[in-house]
Amino acid sequence: MVFACKEKAGKTSLPKLGAAAIDFNCQDLEGQAWSLDKVRGKVVLLRFWADWCPYCRYEMPIIDKYYRKLKKEGFLVLAVNVKQSAEVALAFIAQLDVTFPVPLDPDGGLARKYGVYAIPTNFLIDREGIIREILIGEVFREEKPLRDLLKNYFPLL
Amino acid sequence: MLFPRALNLLVLKTFRKPKIFLSILQTLLFSLFLLSSPVLGSGRPEYETFNYKGQKLSILRDSLTQTPVIIRGIESNLLEIKNFSKLSREEITHTGPILANKYKSLLQIEPDQLKLKGAEKISDTWYVSYWQTFRDMIIYESSLGFSIDSRGRIKSMGALIYPQVQAPVTSKVGHDEALKIGQNEIKDFKKLKCFLLAESVLIYPVKKTSSIDYYRVYAFNFFPKEALHPASVVGGWAVFIDTQTGKKVLYEELLKPLGCCVPEDWVPPKLEDMKPKW
Repeated sequence: MVFACKEKAGKTSLPKLGAAAIDFNCQDLEGQAWSLDKVRGKVVLLRFWADWCPYCRYEMPIIDKYYRKLKKEGFLVLAVNVKQSAEVALAFIAQLDVTFPVPLDPDGGLARKYGVYAIPTNFLIDREGIIREILIGEVFREEKPLRDLLKNYFPLL
Repeated sequence: MLFPRALNLLVLKTFRKPKIFLSILQTLLFSLFLLSSPVLGSGRPEYETFNYKGQKLSILRDSLTQTPVIIRGIESNLLEIKNFSKLSREEITHTGPILANKYKSLLQIEPDQLKLKGAEKISDTWYVSYWQTFRDMIIYESSLGFSIDSRGRIKSMGALIYPQVQAPVTSKVGHDEALKIGQNEIKDFKKLKCFLLAESVLIYPVKKTSSIDYYRVYAFNFFPKEALHPASVVGGWAVFIDTQTGKKVLYEELLKPLGCCVPEDWVPPKLEDMKPKW
């Protein structure tokens, strides 16, 4: 299956703060393959969302603003769509005009591996692949929390 | 499929025991054929440049319906709204039908088929979206949406449109009967004190290889009054019952939509805060 996310072998426990993030192989809406191993050295916001979740929508443009701003400095957003089709996700992303990669998790397998029980859920993973924040629920409706969070990694922000 | 047939002949001449080999090779080649097709959902999507009434557009089409999923203006905007800053929210919500009318033959939709899904202002930008309807019924997960910047410019839109919908216009199964069937799909419905958060009669399209089945369904969203364990991955259920046969056509466990912020605080969402899953 083209769009399924696959966990890489070797990790079984749920993610914890201070622990290495579970690696995976995922394909995004543009057909690009993503794995955490491939993006080591970047600060990654791994986000789980769905288009029917009202709280997920408001955060997207704000996250995208910082993605555009810090992309060249090594900030990456992987916004994983949970249990929806490529068409639904793509139409939604085009409506919001956001630019970050959107991997698909059609059967929710990756979300389960990450212990995601609510959406949106965000994991902030540092340049060494360690989970530094787990943010459950809508926290980036305003810019400040995201800005404050990213300042730890991009002091010039 | 011309290609695999030609392959059959070639392989038959080449191998003495071709059946297994053929089967494997056919599957492999068919997969490669699918992966390399210029459509959405099969690897890297390919955008086409399209001339629409003299306007150059970049389009990504749905592989099955051939309707655009993304439309972007090349060197021009899809629409520019004059005096945008003076418009009320109500007036802004009329933009969808105007846009749909402008690109009607491309979208294969009538402007009056749109029903407002949401219109929100985030920073300086408005985000507006609609469902497609069929005889006033929402088509599940259909959408047409766009953002409007502070200068009233719409540069692109996203859409999930179903042309030529054919679906029953009446129900053969009663609502109460369907509701019972739906409730019975959920284990421990009473124990969890589940309640019906939202319901609707809508059109549920199911894509097949080369066609789409359109079900007219009773769509139910149930949520537990008693919050499930915070660590449970289930926050609710979407159950769709066919209005013609009474059979379940969709059962889906929903993640908890969470406003803020910590799991211990999670309570079933309030109706006014919730968006039904359709």
